[in-house]
Amino acid sequence: MTTSEILATTQALLQGLGTVITLFVVVMVASLPLGFLLTMLARCRIAPIRWLVNAYIYIMRGTPLMLQLFFIYYGLPFVNDFFKMALRSAMVCALLGFSLNYAAYFAEIFRGGLLSVDKGQYEACQVLGLNRVQTTLYAVLPQMFRVALPSITNESITLVKDTALVFSISIMEVLYYAKAAVSRTGSILPYAIAFLIYLALNSLLQLFFNWLEKKTAY
Amino acid sequence: MNKKWLSGILIAALAVSAFSACGGSASTESSSSSEPASSSSQQEESASQEESAAEASSQAEEPSALPETFVLGLDASFPPMGFMDQNNNIIGVDIDLAKAVCEKLGMEFEAKPIDWDAKEMELNSDKISCIWNGLTIQEGFDEIYEMTPAYMDNEQVIVVMESSDIQSKEDLADKIVAAQKDSSGLAALQKDEIYSSIQGGAAKEYGNYVEALTDLEIGRCDAVVMDSIVANYYINANAKAMRVLDDKMASEQYGIAFKKGNTELRDAVWGALQELEAEGKVAEISLQWFNKEDMIQIG
Repeated sequence: MTTSEILATTQALLQGLGTVITLFVVVMVASLPLGFLLTMLARCRIAPIRWLVNAYIYIMRGTPLMLQLFFIYYGLPFVNDFFKMALRSAMVCALLGFSLNYAAYFAEIFRGGLLSVDKGQYEACQVLGLNRVQTTLYAVLPQMFRVALPSITNESITLVKDTALVFSISIMEVLYYAKAAVSRTGSILPYAIAFLIYLALNSLLQLFFNWLEKKTAY
Repeated sequence: MNKKWLSGILIAALAVSAFSACGGSASTESSSSSEPASSSSQQEESASQEESAAEASSQAEEPSALPETFVLGLDASFPPMGFMDQNNNIIGVDIDLAKAVCEKLGMEFEAKPIDWDAKEMELNSDKISCIWNGLTIQEGFDEIYEMTPAYMDNEQVIVVMESSDIQSKEDLADKIVAAQKDSSGLAALQKDEIYSSIQGGAAKEYGNYVEALTDLEIGRCDAVVMDSIVANYYINANAKAMRVLDDKMASEQYGIAFKKGNTELRDAVWGALQELEAEGKVAEISLQWFNKEDMIQIG
């Protein structure tokens, strides 16, 4: 391939970048709070709620994301007209599927963070006269967040790479354009370009989380 | 300071999660409220058979109108039938034909790249209007699709490296022979008498033909069975040191697949193609892509 061809191919691949970034941002914004809510509900005093949340996490983590996307995109519209209307756009299906799936993983990450908070911390808060809400907000959550952060970094890097799955429901992204370029040019160089694009994206992400980790260190 | 900042984030997170919880419950409510509506309509149907019959016939008539947008489903990595140019525009023989048909029938044209493995689901859930992408007419297709007659001839050929010692089909004995999974090339290879004598007694299957040809170049396989149209285009356009054997595996034809039951749209498209052939437009497209006027034959 000539240099101009490589440039043109890179440009073609970058057309998929918008999809990757949209997916990443929306899914992070939706699934982090949802995951946190699930963690809280999993500690709920009402047993059926705990069971429900645990069943949800069990199913979401125990089945392939691609099948979940298939189910939402091809399956749900057959259930009733509401789903048919709401899930018209493939992107909506992808955002929904990814958010629900990643929330389950984040819930477990937050749970791990909570487990790391020593019992003594709760007792200390009691001695200081803090109520339940104060204890959670000022003592437990900051410590939980710090422990959970490296795992959150890990999950978000995986998310960037997982966006390549959306082609199974006909959304075009970087890897798809790379495949199209490979079949057009007969050279596998477009894959190398895709490789670099994903790596660049994750480098930015890594820098951000490194900064955040430093910021939250105490 | 840090802790305050953090708790701010977490409070915001809580607020958002409360929000999303509201959204969730609202959507389940509205979906459950639409449920009784559909069940009551079912009761009505069962209450009066005539009514349900009338409803069914009106439903059957619905797809008879041509769609506003004609969505062509394709695997956009199949040059020259349908593929992407450097700016990710979808081009190709099938695309030019379909655009001309849409112009004639007054439909908006849209090419939609799909995951080829999910093509039946795409068609059955009405996300695409047809599969039109060098689709080989295979046995049993009439049961799952509404197929047009053939519009183009194709052959399953054997591609080897220029330097290979394979000269004929018989030479494939004890060689590693590859094909694209779920392709008519694979089916032709499996039906051929040579199949039992190739190495391992089975074909090496690839996700697509480019992967198979790349492995041919690397030397992980000795021959690839694939569509002649695509093989010739790939070798010429990319100046590959490969050749196509004179021995053929099978002769076959390309057709267009529509959703089962949608004969209306199929017949309209085929009628338009016949008119286009009479007008010389089909020959023009053939000349443009194959340097021959008679590659596309609307029978």
